[in-house]
Amino acid sequence: MERVIVCVKPVPDPKVWDRLRMDPVTKTLIREGIPSVINPLDRHALEAALAIKDVSGAEVVLLSMAPRDARPVLREALAMGADRAVLLSDKAFAGSDTLATALILTEAIRRIGPFDLICCGNYTLDGSTAQVPSQIAEFLGIPNIMHVAHMELEQDKRMVVTQKIEQGYVKLAAEPPLLLSFTKKANKPRFLSFLEILAAEKREISTWTNTDLNLDESRIGLGGSPTKMADMLLREKGRQGLRLEGSPEEIAHQLANKIRQLGFI
Amino acid sequence: MDFKLGEREELLRKSTREFAESEITPRIEAMEKTGEFPMDLLKPMAKLGITGLIAPPEYEGLGLGYLARTIVLEELSRVCAAIPMGMQVHHMAIAALNDFGTEAQKKKYIPPLSRGETMGCVAVTEPSGGSDVLGMQSSAELKGDKYILNGRKCWITNSHTSDYWIVIARTGEGPKGLSAFIVDKDAPGAKPGREEHKFGLRGANTGELVMDNCEIPKDNLLGQEGGGLGVALKTVSESGRTGMAAVALGILQACYEEAAKYASERVLYGKPIAALQAISFYVAEIYTQLDICRLLCYRASWMKDQNMRFDTESAIAKSYTCEAAAQCAKKAIEIYGANGITLEYKVQRLLRDAMVTISAGGTGEIGKVVVGRAALAPFQKKG
Amino acid sequence: MGEPQIWVFIEQRRNVVHDVGLELLGKARELANTGGARVAALLLGDGVLPLADTLISFGADIVLVADHPALEPYRLLPYTQVLAEACRTRQPDIMLFGATSLGVELAPRLAARLKTGLSAHCIDLQLDADGHLLQMVPGWGGGVVATIKTPEHRPQMATVMPGVMQKPQPAPRSGQVIPLTPSEDLDLSGPRVLEVHREEPQELPLETAEVVVAGGFGVGSPEGWKLLEELARLLGGAVGATRPPVDEGWASEEQMIGQSGKTVRPRLYIGVGISGMSHHVVGMDEAEFVVAINTDPKAAIFEVADLAIVGDQREIIPLLLDELRGRVKVS
Repeated sequence: MERVIVCVKPVPDPKVWDRLRMDPVTKTLIREGIPSVINPLDRHALEAALAIKDVSGAEVVLLSMAPRDARPVLREALAMGADRAVLLSDKAFAGSDTLATALILTEAIRRIGPFDLICCGNYTLDGSTAQVPSQIAEFLGIPNIMHVAHMELEQDKRMVVTQKIEQGYVKLAAEPPLLLSFTKKANKPRFLSFLEILAAEKREISTWTNTDLNLDESRIGLGGSPTKMADMLLREKGRQGLRLEGSPEEIAHQLANKIRQLGFI
Repeated sequence: MDFKLGEREELLRKSTREFAESEITPRIEAMEKTGEFPMDLLKPMAKLGITGLIAPPEYEGLGLGYLARTIVLEELSRVCAAIPMGMQVHHMAIAALNDFGTEAQKKKYIPPLSRGETMGCVAVTEPSGGSDVLGMQSSAELKGDKYILNGRKCWITNSHTSDYWIVIARTGEGPKGLSAFIVDKDAPGAKPGREEHKFGLRGANTGELVMDNCEIPKDNLLGQEGGGLGVALKTVSESGRTGMAAVALGILQACYEEAAKYASERVLYGKPIAALQAISFYVAEIYTQLDICRLLCYRASWMKDQNMRFDTESAIAKSYTCEAAAQCAKKAIEIYGANGITLEYKVQRLLRDAMVTISAGGTGEIGKVVVGRAALAPFQKKG
Repeated sequence: MGEPQIWVFIEQRRNVVHDVGLELLGKARELANTGGARVAALLLGDGVLPLADTLISFGADIVLVADHPALEPYRLLPYTQVLAEACRTRQPDIMLFGATSLGVELAPRLAARLKTGLSAHCIDLQLDADGHLLQMVPGWGGGVVATIKTPEHRPQMATVMPGVMQKPQPAPRSGQVIPLTPSEDLDLSGPRVLEVHREEPQELPLETAEVVVAGGFGVGSPEGWKLLEELARLLGGAVGATRPPVDEGWASEEQMIGQSGKTVRPRLYIGVGISGMSHHVVGMDEAEFVVAINTDPKAAIFEVADLAIVGDQREIIPLLLDELRGRVKVS
């Protein structure tokens, strides 16, 4: 294999998720003070790419559509062993839904050049739609496989991919070019070796704007998104909210009574 | 003054933390039981870059500085202090070789240490004393093309796990009568002696080295004959003190996290105990000590990276941080109440580990001797 | 083509229809009745024609069937091709997919081929005054619901997790079965299926359990987790989890409740050591009675609890088990 592209997205660090707050006026997330990390599943995608690089010497290119402050996250991904990174950053991209995002990433992939494999995480922790990888593959006209739990490289670039489905799995034979979405089961992401941390300081992070991609503004951003957000509402609760207090013995006793009252014992 | 750490330091910290949490945590139980250093961790630590951290690239090291080393040791220690205890002494051996070795010696001995194929140790302390360096009795006599070493070293970290020992012994009288030597553990007449069973830093191998008419090649003299005190002092005061301080700093960080976590979870009187002012003050005190010690440790390491003289600063960092770690571990145990004294909770290990760091690598009192000297020097009256 | 059409993709494996397709037929029927539309079920496979009548009884006015040996087992590219052509020819207004592992792979690919909008993991669907589909998806932190619309592009596509919509009762109904004949050869390119392996489900399925005992990171240990399993057994229920217990290995991925996991609607939900972040709550807040135990009085789970217990589950659960054991009626 000669080139593997890995799509990487910075997301709010899940360790501090309970600190995330919504701005009640703008109805957007308040991101200040919340550190970003590489979307955890993207690390598994990157590890798969690096494993291929280990045996074939392929170039591993990171691709990310994110604000400019994503650079430290990309630097960390480079320190895992990737060769270079392309950051797509432009106000015109903001507000893109999955279709518009897939279009932007597809155009960037075309400009990066020929590739054998594209690796993505199965879903991101923040958006969670899991839609973008399939849509990129569609736009590129290549097959894609989601829920990858295992990938084995055989000779002549043939791959055997194990896809996790409900209560079981499917084994598929595939060839490049191909897009794969990885789950946690696929591998154990390598630690950042200190040598790679040092080497990564010299690796390139190129920032591209829409001037580089030259996409029609009507197809990107809010304007290019078929889905639009119409409203944000607080969920209706309507719960009794009774507090049970006392010693653990008292609490256990009252709770057992309630369970009995509800008819479960 | 720029107190901000760079991207490089943040990535080193992150990587070491992930490694420690994932690979070292599962080993702690066995280490506590047996006191043995998990030798199979050497390879993954070498792969990460820990074993050869400060060795120059030409000897297969990473050539990173002491600030990087402090951060890495701190993160390892946050999970389990015994592991970086072994690693910091290993670095001391590399530092001694790098500072005083001939090209041939460096080429022969540093690469295997960088690659983690073996461990190194530095042997100064004897039954006659560690603080009393000049009181040492181990001898080395030149006979033809060999040195014959006789003596016993004790309380040596990595005594039984090292292939290379840096040994200080007497070749003559007085302060200029000490010399440093590189001893291969397989040298005739050399062998590790008894192993110590410490109540803390369990898993850091500590024991005796015995030299009984031990023969080593003449070329294994490290530095000049008579320059051994300089080798000992430089190694202990530079890589030794900063290494010990970093180990204690990691313990302190763990004390803070354990205390804050428990205080936020334990419910009494219908609220987490962190809501009680007294408890929040204890956590505040631990946090303050942590901040103080971090500044001391990083400052001393930074000074070394700037090639400044820093033996006072390293003495302050070492003696203060080890003492603070023990005090804060005690406080953390008290925050845990009855749970704090059970083996089920981690916090008791922090106190045991911290206590052992206090006299390792230079006692707190010797630290104060060094600092006192520096503090009084500007006021000394002549004549 | 006359009235607007609401399409539901019917997932089947080896001629067994996945419940989510029937749940979505129920919802489609409801939407169709308010807006005056027709409901069509999309059925692809080999030898699946006999399933058509069942789909009609569950609410389909039309069943569009593509029956072909190459369509069994499911493969992404041929399925996308058949559905895309059907959409282009018949121009449905709305198309719904279950957010199963298959649906989550197929729906976006189809949406991209048709260059239309797709929303994921909808927790509700409604029609607005203009007949547009309102797609309710859980929003970020703090329990908000975002309403997504696809104003211009068609079909308006949405995926829905299994268990979110109610499976309707079948009733005798009449409907049309229309075979789909692709105008060109099936696209058989792409990955080839070497093997399909299915395991037997082990425990009581979460989605239908009357009692769910769910644990979060606060459970603290595998030993603590075993106590929850015992509590569930005592109450005749199933055990659910948030992501951290799955990561720790105490629970399996199949037990995860939430936005990217299962949706449960039990009569009794007991959340133990769960903070209650919105992406979990969205998977359980339709439970009839919610009990929550957490040491943090400010935990978000208490906002959706009927019975809020600020306390240490490590102490309470063992005592609760003792209490309940004393009261279990011997049947």
